[in-house]
Amino acid sequence: MNRKKGDKGFESPRPYKLTHQVVCINNINFQRKSVVGYVELTIFPTVANLNRIKLNSKQCRIYRVRVNDLEAAFIYNDPTLEVCHHESKQRNLNYFSNAYAAAVSAVDPDAGNGELCIKVPSELWKHVDELKVLKVHINFSLDQPKGGLHFVVPNMEGSMAERGAHVFSCGYQNSTRFWFPCVDSYSELCTWKLEYTVDAAMVAVSNGDLVETVYTHDMRKKTFHYMLAIPTAASNISLAIGPFEILVDPYMHEVTHFCLPQLLPLLKHTTSYLHEVFEFYEEILTCRYPYSCFKTVFVDEAYVEVAAYASMSIFSTNLLHSAMIIDETPLTRRCLAQALAQQFFGCFISRMSWSDEWVLKGISGYIYGLWMKKTFGVNEYRHWIKQELDQIVAYELKTGGVLLHPIFGGGKEKDNPASHLHFSIKHPHTLSWEYYTMFQCKAHLVMRLIENRISMEFMLQVFNKLLSLASTASSQKFQSHMWSQMLVSTSGFLKSISNVSGKDIQPLIKQWVDQSGVVKFYGSFAFNRKRNVLELEIKQDYTSPGTQKYVGPLKVTVQELDGSFNHTLQIEENSLKHDIPCHSKSRRNKKKKIPLMNGEEVDMDLSAMDADSPLLWIRIDPDMSVLRKVEFEQSDFMWQYQLRYERDVVAQEEAILALEKFPTPASRLALTDILEQEQCFYRVRMLACFCLAKIANSMVSTWTGPPAMKSLFTRMFCCKTCPNIVKTNNFMNFQSYFLQKTMPVAMALLRDVHNLCPKEVLMFILDLIKYNDNRKNKFSDNYYRAELIDALANSVTPAVSVNNEVRTLDNLNPDVRLILEEITRFLNMEKLLPSYRHTITVSCLKAIRVLQKNGHVPSDPALFKSYAEYGHFVDVRIAALEAVVDYTKVDRSYEELQWLLTMVQNDPVPYIRHKILDMLTKNPPFTKNMESPLCNEALVDQLWKLMNSGTSHDWRLRCGAVDLYFTLFGLSRPSCLPLPELGLVLNLKEKKAVLNPTIIPESVANNQEPVNSTNNHGQSVGFQNTFSNSQEEEEIDMDTVHDSQAFIYHHLNMLERPSTPGKEQSSGEMNMHPVSAAPMSVFSKESNSSKHSDHHHHHHHEHKKKKKKHKHKHKHKHKHDNKEKEKDPFTFSNSPASARSIRSPSLSD
Amino acid sequence: MPRAPTRIPLARRARRMRTAPYGSKMADTASGSSGTRSGSKHASTPADNYYLARRRTLQVVVSSLLTEAGFESAEKAAVETLTEMLQSYISEIGRSAKSYCEHTARTQPTLSDIVVTLVEMGFNVETLPAYAKRSQRMVITAPPVTNQPVTPKALTAGQNKPHPSHIPGHFPEFPDPHTYIKTPTYREPVSDYQVLREKAASQRRDVERALTRFMAKTGETQSLFKDDVSTFPLIAARPFTVPYLTALLPSELEMQQMEETDSSEQDDQTDTENLPLHMSTDDSGPEKENASVLQQNTSLSGSRNGEENVIDNPYLRPVKKPKIRRKK
Repeated sequence: MNRKKGDKGFESPRPYKLTHQVVCINNINFQRKSVVGYVELTIFPTVANLNRIKLNSKQCRIYRVRVNDLEAAFIYNDPTLEVCHHESKQRNLNYFSNAYAAAVSAVDPDAGNGELCIKVPSELWKHVDELKVLKVHINFSLDQPKGGLHFVVPNMEGSMAERGAHVFSCGYQNSTRFWFPCVDSYSELCTWKLEYTVDAAMVAVSNGDLVETVYTHDMRKKTFHYMLAIPTAASNISLAIGPFEILVDPYMHEVTHFCLPQLLPLLKHTTSYLHEVFEFYEEILTCRYPYSCFKTVFVDEAYVEVAAYASMSIFSTNLLHSAMIIDETPLTRRCLAQALAQQFFGCFISRMSWSDEWVLKGISGYIYGLWMKKTFGVNEYRHWIKQELDQIVAYELKTGGVLLHPIFGGGKEKDNPASHLHFSIKHPHTLSWEYYTMFQCKAHLVMRLIENRISMEFMLQVFNKLLSLASTASSQKFQSHMWSQMLVSTSGFLKSISNVSGKDIQPLIKQWVDQSGVVKFYGSFAFNRKRNVLELEIKQDYTSPGTQKYVGPLKVTVQELDGSFNHTLQIEENSLKHDIPCHSKSRRNKKKKIPLMNGEEVDMDLSAMDADSPLLWIRIDPDMSVLRKVEFEQSDFMWQYQLRYERDVVAQEEAILALEKFPTPASRLALTDILEQEQCFYRVRMLACFCLAKIANSMVSTWTGPPAMKSLFTRMFCCKTCPNIVKTNNFMNFQSYFLQKTMPVAMALLRDVHNLCPKEVLMFILDLIKYNDNRKNKFSDNYYRAELIDALANSVTPAVSVNNEVRTLDNLNPDVRLILEEITRFLNMEKLLPSYRHTITVSCLKAIRVLQKNGHVPSDPALFKSYAEYGHFVDVRIAALEAVVDYTKVDRSYEELQWLLTMVQNDPVPYIRHKILDMLTKNPPFTKNMESPLCNEALVDQLWKLMNSGTSHDWRLRCGAVDLYFTLFGLSRPSCLPLPELGLVLNLKEKKAVLNPTIIPESVANNQEPVNSTNNHGQSVGFQNTFSNSQEEEEIDMDTVHDSQAFIYHHLNMLERPSTPGKEQSSGEMNMHPVSAAPMSVFSKESNSSKHSDHHHHHHHEHKKKKKKHKHKHKHKHKHDNKEKEKDPFTFSNSPASARSIRSPSLSD
Repeated sequence: MPRAPTRIPLARRARRMRTAPYGSKMADTASGSSGTRSGSKHASTPADNYYLARRRTLQVVVSSLLTEAGFESAEKAAVETLTEMLQSYISEIGRSAKSYCEHTARTQPTLSDIVVTLVEMGFNVETLPAYAKRSQRMVITAPPVTNQPVTPKALTAGQNKPHPSHIPGHFPEFPDPHTYIKTPTYREPVSDYQVLREKAASQRRDVERALTRFMAKTGETQSLFKDDVSTFPLIAARPFTVPYLTALLPSELEMQQMEETDSSEQDDQTDTENLPLHMSTDDSGPEKENASVLQQNTSLSGSRNGEENVIDNPYLRPVKKPKIRRKK
């Protein structure tokens, strides 16, 4: 283990130690959305010559700073407000990302930096030299905060309390600096005193114990006094103020729940389960909940569904539900359990640095998984693990890897651990939101891998050890220097593991934590009858992005006639083939029950089997103990056996997916049998519905009998006496409820020989709607009805259009007319009797968009735009916005794109702003290689402005804007920008000339794969190209980036140290190219084009070795190159295009 | 009073009126409007006769009052006007008196009702007896009623039941048998499940359709087709000030439904296979939890109230008064 940092314990990056902080908010004005208050930090200098104190603060207006009652000078500088200052023409994302990372670094509290720099008054220098306590008192105010604190003020009559106005803190990772000056780091712990003076009708909920509530003299306001004696990081401090209804948990009186007015009945029901989660965690961790109280607050317009802070959690109010709601119940409980898990790991135990985040997310996710297993059962748990695994695998393969434990600083051997990404992973604040979600997912999966290795018992012991150490430390006084025990680090965690278990998990950590990527297995087999041996071939793809090579044990389970056998194969460098001896001779005639893995013995119809082989089915890595994707080939009958008889839900799901490729009557039968089997896990049955629909479509010409699933549905859910009428709803049995919901949706995907949804199916669904009767049901049927509308939408097929006629009522398809009739009625009824979370409106909007897209109804975004306005329920807005995003893409509407982008800038709800960018990224109006009328300079400028300065108040939003920019324009300069005339740019400010970075990307962009190649391979090739080609301009860009980075440092650094270009380059983490490292020499060259080719040539030799790996891809690219070249209208000689032939990798190879 | 060409000696009129038999029509006396009716004397209905007689009596009254007041003759129009005034005054007394009596839940006005009415109308009741006994008053005999309007004889059906022995004979007779005899009729109720469901479904659909159409007609709408706004009218989306309330709280209908289903059994058409079956313990984990907590919740809220007093939670503690010494 060569982790230097961890062995020595925690070292603060600051020349002082914070011990206590007071936050006092005297006044909160909901009308003006402003906050006035002060903070007082008690700090102990740790070095004698401390003369400057750096703190974090954003948005706050600072009036006055006093240190030990002496006025102190201060400087405020926040480089993240505007990331790129001077290069107004730079539109290159690579450049931006580096500059942004540099800006974030410049104020990163984990590096001892901050936006606010306070000069210690000279009178106190002597005092400081004696390392005596300093009290820093800062008066500040906050006016109309755009991030950090979110005000919800409904626009109606009445006092603020009557209106339900409230405010709460929010943000992504450490965002506390947005609402008060602090050391916004997870590693700087201190005790807290929090005071909030609010309107007498309101409640202020914050961290720690509410000591007392006191009226002000005029009796119109009251002050809430909170004390938090457990050392806590500022980033875990939170606040919620509003006219909340208060509910003391009936099981645990120290737990208090808060919700907005009128929702108390829902709150009672929703939180009635929480005590069981408490009990579960306390039991498995054998540790009491660390704080003396716990508060849950449910707020409107929440930033995220669940946000955990010290001794309190802020939830979205939309998680509340009544006893009639089925679908939301498990989701909400999951959120509660997640929040509670993070109380132990994340709030109470904090982290040393960003690179240790995975431990916290991993442990909290892991114990949450244990809770899932206990609460929802092993099947649900395994299904969840599989789902998470599939997600992370898909994401890594798409983007090139998620690194849990990035190591930075001095890492010269490895430039940037995430050079495949368009953002820096050095800071949480530069991460794409999706990456962060996947990061959390991977973290808990890796924890599970560790558990597999050392057993759950040891795992829980490790957690217990961490918690007991922390809780001992938390009760100590500051002077004992024990508080850092409350911080977890990767090395500390690993040390604990080795101490407790005595096992070496280093290889595992190296594989999954210290490097990114997943494993991709391809498996196939042959049975050697003579030797009675199974010859298994397992290949790996470790060259595509996001993959890594796996070496180590791999479990293979073989189900034979005589039973199920586990084999552990050793995957090594060059061994592809593995011989596995079979236990059973193939035998046909003996009628014997076949033993399964779980000891069960079953009768099977073996007639489908290969008579020569005793193999029923084979599974690779059945326990998911590798983060992998397995593509395994076995015959259809084997998949069918696996589906029918394997008891593991993951195996069943895999079999179902595999059977999609085998549209045979046998597959059909296997799926139908599963569907009917009530013992079978409901999710498997739901999945089988969709597979059956696909198979039925593939078999359409030979299909016999009624449409798939129809008779089954009739048998299960319709009246015995009148099979065309569905029974009145009774959702007491949730498994059948979920199946009843899903089957129509899957059936609607059926198509006849003309590729239309069979009339019979449509009428069937319409009848379900017609006869739906919920009067006697204990539960609400809103989700069921919503899914019936989804089913209607699924049945829609593209309209037969006669030479692009305008869609009018007269030429409306009669089936569509029926569908529209239902949608209209449902949507209108929602206005009179709204459904829970407006699920029906959501489905109707989606269905209308489907009708528009298929050309039945004129495409028009007006309806969606009205539903997307502020004031509609958030789910409705999202559905409407999704439709507008889709419209923008399909109709290439500039107007709608502008409308969306305006909303990104102006919408009051942060989640909506984030979500619009997210949806635009996932369903982009165009991508970087696409010709689109939307792609123009104005748009580039607009988006650039958005990410450069327009989103400085919200990390998540800014990263969302970066993601969108990347999707639309790629890493390099957008191709729609005109070529600058000059090849070189003289930067007077920095006194140097650089190769104009704007001219390089053009050629790179032309090298790209066209986007329409949708298969995985195509995508990965495209990515590879970007990667290898962009490296050269990256290096040139690096230059300017480092200049700007230096520039920022330069300005921040109050020591006025002269900066020289040479020095910056040596300090950079990027590997500098010799040519570009000497910018002056570039300037002296006469022809930039010659230089250009030189440069590339050189470059290619240098990277030859690396490129050989991707030889076949280069060929591919080359072919494409030539094609492009023929089309290329740019022929002028000094354009980079002319240098292309020299640059072509196949030539240089 | 100016003398107009057509004048009738008041005394003569009054006298003539006194002697004129009720119901006989005289062409010269009737007002203009009655004159037109005179031609159709025989065709006039009893109601018409009443009307005319009333009118004539009032005219006589007016004439005699005028005579009493010393007039010798009056213009026809003046008499008509006074008659009209008198008639409306009397009508008002009647109407008011009726209201008063109905107000006290009676059907027949009493004297006190009339008194209250007169007081209400500003009439000094105390002067009435003296006025009634004044010496020069003229007495007008009530018009003899000649042909009483015949009430059409009700259709008699069957024999009226004779009184039983314990009811004295002076009590009214039993009404017609058809008014109290019950003849039970049975129409076979629609018990066919299919028809019932069909009916319920289409009824609900029709109601919903009609209701939403009405709402759409009366309010703002949106349309999916530019050229047509009526075929698929969508009620316009209106933003809420507090959107989460409608989205999260169950509607009143649902609440009502929930109460109903709590007490009543589930529909008997729901077959046994739909009843909760928890086959494998793993699968049914979440559902079981759901169900058990749902039940718990009701018992929970009941027990909570009792405990509330003992709960020590900082948020339930009273807010302290500010310290007097405290500086702000």
